[in-house]
Amino acid sequence: MKKKKKLIVVIGFVCLFSMILGGPTLAAKKVIHVWHTETNPVSREAIANIVARFEALHPDIKVEAEALAWGDLEGKIMAALAAGSPPELSHGQPITCAALQEKGLLLSLDEVVKSIGEDNIWDQIKKVGKYGDHYYGLVHAAGTSLLVYRKDLAEKKGLKNPKTWDDLLHNAKELTMDTNGDGKIDIYGLTIPGDNLFINILMGELTKANGGILFDSKNRPHFTDETMIQTLKFWKELTKYLPPGWEGHGYRETFANMYGQKAAMMYQGYGRGASLIEQYAPAHMASTDYYDVWIKPRGPSGTKPAAQVDEEPWMMFKGCKYPNEAIEFLKFFYKDENYLEYIQTVPIHFFPITKSLRKSSAYHATPMIKKWKGWLDVQEYYLDNDLVKPTLVIDWEDMAGKPYLMEILGSGILKDMVMEVTKEGVPPEKAAAKAQKRAEELVKDKGYAKW
Amino acid sequence: MRLSSQKTGMLLIAPAIILICSLLVYPVLYGVWLSLFKKHSFFPDQRFVGLANYFYLLKNSDFWMSVWYGTVYSVSTIVLQIVVGVIAALIVNEAFRGRNFVRGVILFPYVIPTVVAIILWKWLLNNQFGLVNYLMLSVGIIEDPVSWMGKDHIMTSLIIISVWEFFPFVVLSVLARMQTIPPTLYEAAQVDGAGPIRRFFHVTLPQLRNVLFVVILLRSIWMFTKFDTVWLLTQGGGAEKYIRTLPVYAYMRTFMYYQAGLGSTLAVIMFIILIISTAIYFKMFRREEEI
Repeated sequence: MKKKKKLIVVIGFVCLFSMILGGPTLAAKKVIHVWHTETNPVSREAIANIVARFEALHPDIKVEAEALAWGDLEGKIMAALAAGSPPELSHGQPITCAALQEKGLLLSLDEVVKSIGEDNIWDQIKKVGKYGDHYYGLVHAAGTSLLVYRKDLAEKKGLKNPKTWDDLLHNAKELTMDTNGDGKIDIYGLTIPGDNLFINILMGELTKANGGILFDSKNRPHFTDETMIQTLKFWKELTKYLPPGWEGHGYRETFANMYGQKAAMMYQGYGRGASLIEQYAPAHMASTDYYDVWIKPRGPSGTKPAAQVDEEPWMMFKGCKYPNEAIEFLKFFYKDENYLEYIQTVPIHFFPITKSLRKSSAYHATPMIKKWKGWLDVQEYYLDNDLVKPTLVIDWEDMAGKPYLMEILGSGILKDMVMEVTKEGVPPEKAAAKAQKRAEELVKDKGYAKW
Repeated sequence: MRLSSQKTGMLLIAPAIILICSLLVYPVLYGVWLSLFKKHSFFPDQRFVGLANYFYLLKNSDFWMSVWYGTVYSVSTIVLQIVVGVIAALIVNEAFRGRNFVRGVILFPYVIPTVVAIILWKWLLNNQFGLVNYLMLSVGIIEDPVSWMGKDHIMTSLIIISVWEFFPFVVLSVLARMQTIPPTLYEAAQVDGAGPIRRFFHVTLPQLRNVLFVVILLRSIWMFTKFDTVWLLTQGGGAEKYIRTLPVYAYMRTFMYYQAGLGSTLAVIMFIILIISTAIYFKMFRREEEI
């Protein structure tokens, strides 16, 4: 009994001392919360290293970095904002940034831009987060969608970079093959993800490539335009060369189709796929001799190719506890030595936003960059010629002028329209009219209808 | 001062009543209240619209598709769970070597986290690289790979996964009841010349009546409101449209369209459907003297 009492007294003292000594230390730490979308282990490790170095320089600041899956992010940001406890920093879709900025929920990142040097940032990057004279979003890295193809198979068939959608369909037909002569298709011409996000991405790309628009300046949807009908007809044609059940394939599965040699082209490829190919394709095939990229084609009413740019901006939220410390962290993040470590985790997908790093010898010495240079060249071509826009953005004015794009994306209206045409045999005109009605309702409901 | 026994009783049940009111009654009433508003899910934009959300949904084809998919999903999974569950319970009620091990294994699907189960099933059912297609092709059951996650088979896949995941609950409940059936009933039936099938229909099944009544009721409520299994299977993927049950549609309206009012309206409608169905179920299958 005595022993028990002694033990209780000792534990009590330990707790008391911990509170006296540890309490102020913990209280003095300023904790900044950082949500990012790079869930792969190497990127998380790089962020952890950057955080450790930052914390060593700023002993009074603790950075809680959390990697979140895309599917969870938007809802979590919204819920945190509604609860009045947003993180200091988070990645987000460019259209989310636009929506939140329009509601006055973001803080300016001008100081970070100033520290990097505004001239040192690529012009294309600036368009994503700049509203008026201020930056409310700053891209962590840029990567464009890519038309990946099996170079060995295309060369055997004498196929060239498709310039138009018809050329692409021709290539897809040629590359849909029965390789063992059993009368069954072994390699499909093309693979496309069937999930909502990627169908929206693709609809944005195809609309742009066909010279169309999704919404006009009065925010009225243009889903029944001839350009959209052509796009839907193109979708229907494409599905002839897609693996059966493509609508159930996620992004990773389309890469599995490529490196697993079940498909010869991938319309929604990205630079990070190079890492997957290196990891999973047969060793002798893991190079640009087998997996290369073509510039995407244009539609019958379009004049230029178009692709999507995957460039999530950092956002800082109004109502967060430590905005100044968060700015210090971002400044540190973009310092060449830190930023390079981050970029090198997915080097073919993460284009640095700073000109200085993109020109630096350290960046070009990255082994994967040497090996997959062709993939980077195409992305650079898209970026330099302003051929890429964020998801569902057709013109840069859409970024500030159409804050409802986030809801359009989430609603699945475009995906349902594509499914109706490709899987249910609904005529494009009818599916488009239904989608038009749904989108009109949604825009009206959100209070943005000006027609 | 002594409290009357009535007041003491009231005081003693007060914590439970407060808890029930705050955790059950208030959320339900708030949900009903929200359904009368046009409200953003996260921002303080709201406007009273009365019953407009209800009228909107009644005219909305997507809503009716969700009712249809929800009904197909819940009815098929309940029927199959009961059939598979009762058969499995009959088997593990018999004496054989390794019976305890088999009883334990049967519970596995019920204890595996849904998210893990779905990831495993998605790879098993992958049409290009999945084990299910590989085995079926090897044995010659199919000539071409089946697109289990595509439009034509996604509902079948969902039903199979759900039955696999939830039939152990039926096994547990039925097995527990079977072990209390007096052996004398079977002996008497045997003396009367009843074979195994007649014994099942004339002895076992009537004895299981009450437990099946409760199991069917609970599983119907759970399957009709099932969200995680359905959502995780596609997470908004292309074929999601073909398994967009009411809970999924309510989630989409609330967290993807950010229309909390419409989301709540859908939840209230589900609630009403369940109350009506339960009342009909009670009326049809519960004998007066048993209530």
